[in-house]
Amino acid sequence: MSTVLEVQGARHRYGATVALDGVDLAVEAGECVALLGPNGAGKTTLVNLAVGLLPVHEGRVRVAGGDPRIAATRRHLGVMQQSTGFPRTLKVGELVAGAAVRAGMRRSAAGQVMAEVGLTDLASRRAGKLSGGQRQRVALAMALVGDPALLILDEPTGGLDVSARRVFWQTLAQRRERGAGVLLTTHLIEESAAVAERVVVLHEGRVLAADRPDALVARLPERTVIARTNLDAQRLRALPGVVSVDTGSELVRLGTRSPEALLRVLLAEDPDLSDLRVEGARLEEAVMSLTDTATMEVTA
Amino acid sequence: MSARVFGVEVLDELRGIMREPTALFFSVVMPVGFFALFVSIFGQQSAGGVSGGTRMLATFGTFGVLSVTLMNPGIGVADDRERGWLRAKQVSAVPLGVTLAAKVAAALPYAVGVLLAMTVAAAATGSLDASLATLLRLGAVLMIGSLPFALLGMAIGFQAGANASAAILNAILMPSAIASGLWMPLEIMPDVIGRIAPFLPTYHLARLGLAQVNGGGVLEHVLVLLATTAVVAAIAAVSYRHARA
Ligand SMILES: Nc1ncnc2c1ncn2[C@@H]1O[C@H](COP(=O)(O)OP(=O)(O)OP(=O)(O)O)[C@@H](O)[C@H]1O
Ligand SMILES: [Mg+2]
Repeated sequence: MSTVLEVQGARHRYGATVALDGVDLAVEAGECVALLGPNGAGKTTLVNLAVGLLPVHEGRVRVAGGDPRIAATRRHLGVMQQSTGFPRTLKVGELVAGAAVRAGMRRSAAGQVMAEVGLTDLASRRAGKLSGGQRQRVALAMALVGDPALLILDEPTGGLDVSARRVFWQTLAQRRERGAGVLLTTHLIEESAAVAERVVVLHEGRVLAADRPDALVARLPERTVIARTNLDAQRLRALPGVVSVDTGSELVRLGTRSPEALLRVLLAEDPDLSDLRVEGARLEEAVMSLTDTATMEVTA
Repeated sequence: MSARVFGVEVLDELRGIMREPTALFFSVVMPVGFFALFVSIFGQQSAGGVSGGTRMLATFGTFGVLSVTLMNPGIGVADDRERGWLRAKQVSAVPLGVTLAAKVAAALPYAVGVLLAMTVAAAATGSLDASLATLLRLGAVLMIGSLPFALLGMAIGFQAGANASAAILNAILMPSAIASGLWMPLEIMPDVIGRIAPFLPTYHLARLGLAQVNGGGVLEHVLVLLATTAVVAAIAAVSYRHARA
């Protein structure tokens, strides 16, 4: 397997603001890596280093083995920026065809990609008359049309409706089957967990964690025990190992770090216990807990 | 591949200008209108064996070419940058120089249009006495000589917004035009202006143009314009790097 993106010890500062503080990251061919983190974590900065827009102040960035600051290297790169503006007067078909030529392809390559992302009917519409989600799709088509080895997508799903998002994830899956590596940033954590092999959590310019989504979730000690029970909230709170109680719905939800012990007590205390289920945390909670802990450590 | 890319870039630029022509309208209509007015009044007065209309074609022509080549690429760069379109180009596999060269190339047909319209106006008032070869030479000299001004426009476009760039470039072009004798001959202007003029690159471009229609030395003007090009290219490069980092 070949590495299509390699970032080693990357630092970048804007004046006094340290946006990236020694970041390591790699994306292999065919792999999808989701870059997560709160607003201002440094995701876009990292993306901009990887696409050659910003200089690396320290460290090393390689795209398909080359320096992305050099135009020829970017032949291997398809980019969707956090926001792209198009010249008002150019038509969708012209924009995508232009991107095809710039990427060294024939103009005709545009037609197929536009069909892939559902832009065929909009081919002759001017960019100035597109909706936000349609503009996102144009940007995606322009990123895909060069058949790049590495796709770098900064919040690609912003403004996409449910069906457009589904098309988007399918398109990515097809590209990955053909060997493209993907680095994407998103705030749709659960959706990214469903597609990404690896999740990198960035916080204040540092990587807090880089792992499989399920492995990240498994790091969270907390489990939720869900059940239908006759015990009242006060009794439940007094059970051993219970850290939170939610009796908001018909089913109660008990947060605990030792679900096995809790289950034994619960079954003994309430013979009518039913609809019993234990759930792990979700990736969103795992990411939140990582960044919250980091914030607490910083302020402590 | 590069030629194809350049072609696409030029075509996109031309499409933009053609589909939204208002900006260019002013940089074309204004100089041509002025020229038509002046040439109909002063075109017949000849000096040094050359008609006033022909000389004015060189001086007003310089202004006309500059009002397109100084303004359009620069404002275009500023607009692309504000829009985020320049960043899209910067992350493509095409060196940005190709995009910038396309912007200049796309402005040239309009500069040709300005010169043609002025030539027609001069001919219509019966004040044109230059051979076709002379006219072609004048056109070519003004186009090539406008390169440093296009670079200056883009140097500003990398830093300022589109509206600000337009204002700044106008604030450069208008006084330079007056002080270089592009509108009225320096001979009828106050002495002090005549002394300032040789320090202005616009003056040297106009002189180079004039030399095509009524002869005269060109070396000094060529050297000044070459030096200007080198300086402005360096400024544009720094300006770009500043905008990129
Ligand atoms: N051009 C800039 N000049 C100064 N500071 C900047 C600049 N761009 C970003 N920053 C700062 O660098 C930090 C990282 O910003 P970045 O845009 O990389 O965050 P992000 O993770 O992409 O956030 P978001 O989720 O909001 O898109 C932030 O503190 C931001 O304010
Ligand atoms: Mg961002």
